[in-house]
Amino acid sequence: MSLSDVLSPFSAWKNLFRDPVTIPDPLNDRPGAPRYRGFHQNDVDKCIGCGTCEAICQNAAIDMVAVAEIATKQGDSGLRPRIDYGRCCWCALCVDVCMTSSLSMSNEYKWVDHDPDAFCFIPGVDLKHWDSAELGYRRPEGHRLTGTERVPMGELEPEARADSFVEIVAGYDIEQAKLEADRCVSCGLCVATCPTHMAVPEYIATIRDGDYEQGVRLLYQTNPFSNVCGRVCTHRCETSCAARHEGDAIAIRWLKRHIIDQVPHDRIKQIAAEGRVSEPSRHQVAIIGAGPAGLTAAFDLAKAGHGVTVFEALPAPGGMMRYGIPEYRLPYDKLDEDVDVIRSMGVEIRCNTQVGKDVSIDQLREQHDTVLLAIGLHQGRSTRIPGSEHQDVVSAVELLRRITFGERFDVPTTVAVIGGGNVAMDIARSLARMQRQQHGQVGVTLVALEAEDLMLADREEIDEAREEGVVILPSRGPRRCLIERDAVAGLETVHCVSVFDDQGRFAPNYDDSDIQIHDAGLIVEAIGQAADHALLGESLTEALEWERNRIRIDADGRTSESWLWAAGDAVQGPDVITAVAAGHRIAASMMEAFAGTSAQTH
Amino acid sequence: MRDLYDRLTMAFPLGELTEQRPDLAFVTVPREQLRSLLLHLRDQEGFTHLVLLTAVDWLEEGHFQLTYLMNNRRACRDLGVRVMLARDPASMESIHDLWPTAATYQRELREMFGIDFPGSPRVDEDFILEGWIRTPPYRRDFDTLKFSDEVFAPRPGRASSDPAEFMKQQLYPDKT
Repeated sequence: MSLSDVLSPFSAWKNLFRDPVTIPDPLNDRPGAPRYRGFHQNDVDKCIGCGTCEAICQNAAIDMVAVAEIATKQGDSGLRPRIDYGRCCWCALCVDVCMTSSLSMSNEYKWVDHDPDAFCFIPGVDLKHWDSAELGYRRPEGHRLTGTERVPMGELEPEARADSFVEIVAGYDIEQAKLEADRCVSCGLCVATCPTHMAVPEYIATIRDGDYEQGVRLLYQTNPFSNVCGRVCTHRCETSCAARHEGDAIAIRWLKRHIIDQVPHDRIKQIAAEGRVSEPSRHQVAIIGAGPAGLTAAFDLAKAGHGVTVFEALPAPGGMMRYGIPEYRLPYDKLDEDVDVIRSMGVEIRCNTQVGKDVSIDQLREQHDTVLLAIGLHQGRSTRIPGSEHQDVVSAVELLRRITFGERFDVPTTVAVIGGGNVAMDIARSLARMQRQQHGQVGVTLVALEAEDLMLADREEIDEAREEGVVILPSRGPRRCLIERDAVAGLETVHCVSVFDDQGRFAPNYDDSDIQIHDAGLIVEAIGQAADHALLGESLTEALEWERNRIRIDADGRTSESWLWAAGDAVQGPDVITAVAAGHRIAASMMEAFAGTSAQTH
Repeated sequence: MRDLYDRLTMAFPLGELTEQRPDLAFVTVPREQLRSLLLHLRDQEGFTHLVLLTAVDWLEEGHFQLTYLMNNRRACRDLGVRVMLARDPASMESIHDLWPTAATYQRELREMFGIDFPGSPRVDEDFILEGWIRTPPYRRDFDTLKFSDEVFAPRPGRASSDPAEFMKQQLYPDKT
């Protein structure tokens, strides 16, 4: 026997002085692994109540429930997930799919309670001691179940589009649209934000299914202007999209356009006519103005079997969609298709018919049960700066109208545009195209009162205008038009320090030491529009109730005169889709008024 | 691994080599050649240890994939041997006589996927799911929701709201 054999048993004694490897209190002192999938945590301020966690749950363990202290608002349903731990299998798909990363799992895993209902709880609302746990399962970086990037849209390059009015945006093909549609989680948060509450998740689903006719059917339930809105809608829905929180919003507008692009026009007409009441018209309605509000109301009323006549002062229907929006954004033939569907419903549109001149509003009233005033904003506002009364200082709306008429007028080599909204961009980009056609180069300077990041126009409009050669100068206020030998020679502007005062009122503050002169043979004012109410005549103007310079309407669009409704930009801006929503409301309100009354005999 | 693969393909009709790491790769072999391949790996190539035996349900393609993960301790590398089986009826030759531990994996696969291994010891005995009479739960056509609904009584008072519908009620209830 060697010495080491004798001593070795005692060497184990050294462990007496080490910390034990066992856990002293295994019931309380044993944390879960750092990425353990334990009890749920939810950052309720980050959560938008989209319900995607509920949708993905394999065991129906999640309910979306109202929470008293959380209000429903645009982009947030106000609902929050409640989890039933009698059902949860801890797969963590709810965490993986969460659109805002608000939902996670702590590494806490012990919970004893005698009340079985306690295990049905709203994480983040029913407070728990693991709410602030640092460790637990979070969605790993880069691990996403839904695509985060929007499928890029094909567009004409600046060189290819700068001298032409050809449409810029190509539209998705079927493969692209399916990919983009696949990113939508069908939560429906966008529906409330859309003024006319289009069935967005449902129509996007038809793209995934390839059932475009059903798509068109859904579009026509809420919007007879899908060709138009699929191109130029202000797409506020996309600001409420759940996907925008950790990626790009779904291209809802482009998907709408994709659907309408896939179905032949004649088939669209048939689908739009489904459910049309075929009995002879009962009540007669006169609509003044063939813009989106007037024509939407006309569509609904005609479809329900009423007789509708639309009176349009300009040579073709469409209102601002035709005479305001440039052709490179909305081709006329696409607008014509939408209008043709409305006409096919039995709507009569009388163009070149000016109410107040060719026919009086009193005549309309006598010959119809109800009248809708949807005249839009077709008069440009003037800055009234010195020199602005000169004939070569013109309003953007007037000039855009003349371009639509196809008038070939000479654009000087230098033009100044006053205004920073979308109308200013429209006219600047249109004139830039004409300059390139006529002179081979662009000389448009656009001055906006607002600072670069506060300009009212859409960002893409600003960027594209610059790409096409328009010089955009933010934070500049117009001071006077320079007239030399009876001709406009330039525009003088001054640096604008701030547009609004402390109370948020419009009160531009200028720095008089910073003055610039911009060469211009033509000055275009694009600072806003007004409605031309002259057609009303004196007595009706007197009789109507007004709200500043707008006719007062109630929630249904009724004026203070029982036979007269009003809608569209003239009473309620700002865009096509809002006008469409108003058109539906008016039609419903008129039909409610018709119910129980007999039609006039005419 | 490429050297091993080149040697093996001289004798066995293998599918392509998938190299996941320098010390881990996968090959596919027809089921008829599995046994002889495993024996060859064990006796000629030093893959003496069966690390695990597992399955994947390729429901859409109509087959199960078995993966026999083999380890060569001396060379410190693993080779996964994959076999594709018809999904219905799913049955595979047992290898418990090559590695006794295989019987345990085969019993588990019998229970969780419903893949039979005739002759494997105790293969029909319950493994962990006592008294299970439903579709084997790892089969992808096992409906977890239906199972939950049948087995676990829903808690009273559970109700859910659709976000879009709820927003309509809250924000624009009157509109059609």
